[in-house]
Amino acid sequence: MKYTVPAVGFLVFLWAAAAPVDAHHSPSAIFDMSKHISVTGTLTRVDWINPHIVLTVEAKGDAGKVEQWTFQSNPPSWYKSVGLARADFAKAIGQPITIQAVKARDGSLYGYMDRIKLPDGSSYELLNGADAK
Amino acid sequence: MTRTFLALAASAFLLQGVVVAQQARHPDLSGVWSYAIDRAPAALKKEVNGQVTIQKIDQSARHGDASTVKGVQPSTPRPTFKPEFQAKVKDLADHESRTDPVFACGKPGVPRIGPPRKIVQLARETIFLYEDISGDPYRVIPTDGRPHRQYPNPSAYGDSIGKWDGDVFVVDVTGFGDDTWFGEDGYLHTDAMHVVERIWKDGDNLVWQATVEEPKVLAKPWVMPARLLRPSTDSLEESPKCVESDRPRLLNDDHHLQR
Repeated sequence: MKYTVPAVGFLVFLWAAAAPVDAHHSPSAIFDMSKHISVTGTLTRVDWINPHIVLTVEAKGDAGKVEQWTFQSNPPSWYKSVGLARADFAKAIGQPITIQAVKARDGSLYGYMDRIKLPDGSSYELLNGADAK
Repeated sequence: MTRTFLALAASAFLLQGVVVAQQARHPDLSGVWSYAIDRAPAALKKEVNGQVTIQKIDQSARHGDASTVKGVQPSTPRPTFKPEFQAKVKDLADHESRTDPVFACGKPGVPRIGPPRKIVQLARETIFLYEDISGDPYRVIPTDGRPHRQYPNPSAYGDSIGKWDGDVFVVDVTGFGDDTWFGEDGYLHTDAMHVVERIWKDGDNLVWQATVEEPKVLAKPWVMPARLLRPSTDSLEESPKCVESDRPRLLNDDHHLQR
């Protein structure tokens, strides 16, 4: 099994009232903010689009069948403001990565990424609230 | 013939001199100004080659309190709609993740888009440049004394003309359509909307404040809270395309501040 629900210690992903940008629903309108998952698989695509970037990952499910996961994250302008560009993620296309996210309430293979670990050992994690102090 | 040419050349030279002199009398608003939207989460934790850094987000640009800045007019946080529109506005706001045109990559228009990201101040016109997910709009604002176009096509950014009131650059905007909101909380309007933007320097910073006059839906003109912008060294970039696919997935009306 390549994706799991972390038991403890995962970032509490609080979305303040003044949350991200440009136009959007609150993540809680789609994602179960209490359902944190970790998915390890092959990064197949990075779409640097508004209003959210989208990463596509192929990971093996419980039955060993390859499943396609889709993760959205913050807008491109947000990532620009922290010094990251598409290339920082796209360099890992075709390689194994691990994404931590909150999962869609509708049960689909869809999540909001708040941490990614790349094959070179680097990782990026969205922080909020007290974690960002 | 030669005399006529010389007279024309002299006139052009004098006119140019007048324009340059007028330009020199006004503050130069040209430059790139800090990005003015909310951003969360508040930081990114980076771990690269074993080194951990936390990059915090500067969130001061949008809702910083500019009320005490010199020249700022008294404002209210929200407009006052006529009683017959209040229920409609509330309903739009309550369901804005399903009703807001901006949610689906629509144009925010004036004044919702806020202050320009970059200003290019020329002798006879001033150009406002923006970065926005709906595309990267621009406005060319004549400052040569011409009136509004008589029959502008209705648009999200309207028909603008600019003039100076002392050290304040005043942009008068008409010619709107009726398919944008002038604020994120369901602030509907009609094609009768008239917006006046006032922009001036406060030291090295830029101050932007707009007034919305909408005689059909507002009980009184709305003076918006001013925004204080710092100069920026960032370059403008083309905004990535906007592809909204979440609307069918929404399970409730939770939403957050937008532009």
